[in-house]
Amino acid sequence: MTESQVIRQAADGDARAIRTLYDRYSPRVYAVVRRIAGDDELAQDYAQEAWIRAIRALPSFRGDARFSTWLHRIAVNSALQALRKSETRRKREAPAPGDVPVVPATGDALLQRRLERALQDLPEGMRRVLLLHDVEGYTHEEIGDVLGVTAGTSKSQLFKARVKMRELLRALSGAAQDIGEEAWTI
Amino acid sequence: MDHLSAETLARIVDETPRPEEHEHLAACETCTAELDALKAQTEALGALPEILTPVGDWDVLEARLRSEGLLQDPGLFARLGLARTPTWMKAAASVALFLGGAGIGVSVASHGATGSRTPAVPQTAFVADNTTVDNAAVQDAAEALRAAESNYVAALSRYQELRAQQGEDADAGDPRTRYAALQYLVAASQAAVRQAPADPFLNGLLASTLAERQAVLSRISSQSAKKDNWF
Repeated sequence: MTESQVIRQAADGDARAIRTLYDRYSPRVYAVVRRIAGDDELAQDYAQEAWIRAIRALPSFRGDARFSTWLHRIAVNSALQALRKSETRRKREAPAPGDVPVVPATGDALLQRRLERALQDLPEGMRRVLLLHDVEGYTHEEIGDVLGVTAGTSKSQLFKARVKMRELLRALSGAAQDIGEEAWTI
Repeated sequence: MDHLSAETLARIVDETPRPEEHEHLAACETCTAELDALKAQTEALGALPEILTPVGDWDVLEARLRSEGLLQDPGLFARLGLARTPTWMKAAASVALFLGGAGIGVSVASHGATGSRTPAVPQTAFVADNTTVDNAAVQDAAEALRAAESNYVAALSRYQELRAQQGEDADAGDPRTRYAALQYLVAASQAAVRQAPADPFLNGLLASTLAERQAVLSRISSQSAKKDNWF
């Protein structure tokens, strides 16, 4: 069965088709909302909300964009919107993301752990832009649409975020050396 | 020699350097090394892996989709792997099932009427004589049933609330999993009540299941609230 057939069936509420889409795309959806949310509990709520929205909107999916792109955009928008709401309720602290259950490592696990950690330690505005541009591959125009800022602001935030990220990674590397952990530097 | 600013280097990661910046980079090992590090950092970010969805996430999502009417169960034929069975054959099978069920029902009813088996519910409560239904009595009984259901639901909710206040949690296991499981039961009970709207047992089962689901949901919410109240 082709993906467009699965999507059509899912739009009709077919449980198996929806499960097929979920199995195929949930790690990608969860990855982006987890990085936006900063912790697992919020991420689970955001991912659920993203899926509910996507399934609800499925009948309007016309196939102009790839399904993965469409779904990803819904996940990002949904998570950012939820985060904005929760920010009005509480001050966010960055938890240690040491337990992020990544897909079995294909590269340097230590590098991934430190990148995730540094990402969480970035100030919120910088993190969103860096995440969308350098991790998710959005253009500055797309980031502008999603975050409601100009492309110029997005660029400026990105450059600051990269510098800050570099500092954070340096600090993490230094701390690792202090406790005798294998050092890793970019 | 003045080095390029950090933000300039961050820009040059994916933009062409201006001529003077290009010239500086050609002559400055420090800035070139810093630029290489920023490029490596950007490349590593782009290669971050997907993150596994927590176990049980689908169950919760499925329950929510079902409660919002966004998910439909596959029909009996699909469940049996007979989704491609011709429509006429499905119709014939349905008629056969219906007639079979009706036959069993008639057989059981006549068996009960011979007196060899005591009816589970006293017929006098609902039926004035063997042929005429007393509508007032039936309505009274239905009203009493609804009141009893309502009292039961309220009592169960209160019981759950008190138990939660005392920190007791007799229901071992993850409440989200339990919630998802109850969703199945709610869907099944609702379907059953649609088939037999006046059946007191089925209505009672549905009411109990809804109350239990509400209690579990409250417990999940209170757990989340406790975790949120760290500040």
